[in-house]
Amino acid sequence: MGTDIAQENKELIERLRQPQSCREAFNEVMRLYTEPLYRQIRRMVENHDDAADILQNTFLKAWQSIENFRGDAKLTTWLYKIALNESITHLQRERKRLSLSIDDEEGHLINLIEADEWTDGDELVRKLRKAVATLPEKQRMVFNMKYYDDMKYEQISEILGTSVGALKASYHLAVKKIENYFNNND
Amino acid sequence: MRKDNDILSRVGRRDGLTVPDGFFEQFAAKMAESLPENPAAERPREAVVAPRSFWSRVRPYVYMAAMFAGVWCMIKMFSLMSPANVDLSIDSNQALTDALRDDNFIYEYIIDDISDREIMEEMYDDSLSVDDLFPADSMLME
Repeated sequence: MGTDIAQENKELIERLRQPQSCREAFNEVMRLYTEPLYRQIRRMVENHDDAADILQNTFLKAWQSIENFRGDAKLTTWLYKIALNESITHLQRERKRLSLSIDDEEGHLINLIEADEWTDGDELVRKLRKAVATLPEKQRMVFNMKYYDDMKYEQISEILGTSVGALKASYHLAVKKIENYFNNND
Repeated sequence: MRKDNDILSRVGRRDGLTVPDGFFEQFAAKMAESLPENPAAERPREAVVAPRSFWSRVRPYVYMAAMFAGVWCMIKMFSLMSPANVDLSIDSNQALTDALRDDNFIYEYIIDDISDREIMEEMYDDSLSVDDLFPADSMLME
């Protein structure tokens, strides 16, 4: 997440709340947040097309409920919440469609990673993605936000509604599991 | 943990994800074009004036009348309680006057409470004797 995005723009939020300028301000929001939200979603669903669809739904939902955004919460937090909820809903829908258990989903995600054509081809990076795919959903979200986006625990706590202590424990556990994955798949 | 840190430091914070050229710019532009109307957010909010009910219109006057009635009751109560309006004289108390006129009441409730010695002392002070009080032909002495 770029520093320009991390800095909440009060002026932008104010424009979002004004009827005459909210559409233009929301276009700017989409321009600023398309990439970080896309990456967050794609790390969860491991497929470019699905990530693009979910991102579209995320922005549509955010736009439809823009009048409910009072500016009390940070814009980033609000958008991440919607994006992650949409990602989880998508994964649940896929599990149902393919009749997968939560354990089967791990294999399904690894298959998607192996078949993914939109990668830079780095095998070590791909292996880390597979290791992350073995984690439970919530642990995956915590790891992705902390490791890839370098978010503060306080912000992750606001997004996921989990205490900072629990998040630290979750991240520590995720790192351990990734270590085990690498040890067992060398 | 050290090995893991080695792994993570070797990978870095890259996620290796790529997208078609210009994807992000095109996506944002396409979304901006296809964004539906949102009347709730885009229409200027008009000040909604709720019609005033009969009660809401008369309520201030009712409250004011109740306040004045309360003040009047307080003034009345204080004036009734003031010492100038409280007559403590025995003559103005009909029940007490009637009671004191009744000899039985005097004998039962007043004289019985006074000892004989006190009566004698009072009589002595007033230069009265028992004979003066109860003449020989008095019925009481019989």
